[in-house]
Amino acid sequence: MSDARIEAYSRALFEVAQAEGNLSVVEDELFRMARAVESSEQLRGVLTDATIPAERRQQVVEQLMGGKASNTSMQLVSLIVGAGRGRDLVAIVDRLVQRASSEQQREVAEVRSAVALSEDQTKRLADALSKSTGRKLNLKVVVDPSVLGGLVATVGDEVIDDTVRTRLEQIKTRI
Amino acid sequence: MNLVVTSLFAVEDPSQTHHWLLPETAEIVYGGIASCIIFFGLYKFGWPMIVKSMNARTARIQKELDGAADARSKSETDAAGIRTALGDIESERRKILAEADAQATAIISDGRARLLKEVADLEVKAVADLAAARGRSGEELRGEIARLSSAAISSAVAASLNDRAQQELIESFIKSVGAAK
Repeated sequence: MSDARIEAYSRALFEVAQAEGNLSVVEDELFRMARAVESSEQLRGVLTDATIPAERRQQVVEQLMGGKASNTSMQLVSLIVGAGRGRDLVAIVDRLVQRASSEQQREVAEVRSAVALSEDQTKRLADALSKSTGRKLNLKVVVDPSVLGGLVATVGDEVIDDTVRTRLEQIKTRI
Repeated sequence: MNLVVTSLFAVEDPSQTHHWLLPETAEIVYGGIASCIIFFGLYKFGWPMIVKSMNARTARIQKELDGAADARSKSETDAAGIRTALGDIESERRKILAEADAQATAIISDGRARLLKEVADLEVKAVADLAAARGRSGEELRGEIARLSSAAISSAVAASLNDRAQQELIESFIKSVGAAK
């Protein structure tokens, strides 16, 4: 999809979420959905397969998000997948998150962890990262078991990596 | 005339001759004349033929002699050629044998040199192969050790990553990031 089209979709999603008054929740849920799509080749295949009818793809989205996300988020993802833009879902959502963060004068900080963080940990981590980078941040936590343990934070071009996976790789390289 | 005819054709009694050995005079005359005629005829006509025949025979004999001489000369030339050829054959045989000996010697010498070189090359290659195999084995062993070590470390770390460890890692990260500035 062209950059202009991705931009248009992300703007549309942003406007809808803002109009519904739950931008931060929708943004967060869509971000998690995008990460799930990103990490699952099977899910990505289903959502982007043009031979599967749009209704069936939308059913998959509803089954996946039903009860776990807001209705607005589910409807927006369903809209994108139904329009045959499932392949660009991740790019659209990432653009939406950037837009929402810019709106709040914040920068997106993506943190990957092997286990979910508590609210307190998330808040303290956001504060620590803001203090460390000197910027206001919109923290997005992704549960990624492949990191094994520890955290890796990406703020713009800066990466702070203290994961067990990276340490093991360093040890392997040294060996 | 009558006398002549009578003397010529008179029939005499054979027992009545004037000499027991010599013929009658007339017979001598007639016989002499007839003999002269015959000798003259022979001289005139027969002698040239005899001379010609003799000359022809002489020429033929001479020709045969010349042919024989030629044949002899040719035979002698052939014999000389054969002798020369025999000599040449012997010399050629010796030459061929000498060349064959030289070639055989050269081939043996070359073969020996080549074999020695091949043996030397094989030795060098074998030594290099041994060294490479030794190095490869060492590398493979090191690689295997590294792989097993990595797997062991991964397993040990994964086993030790319980909830408490995860929380400690998260807290450690938050603290280290917070203390970074």
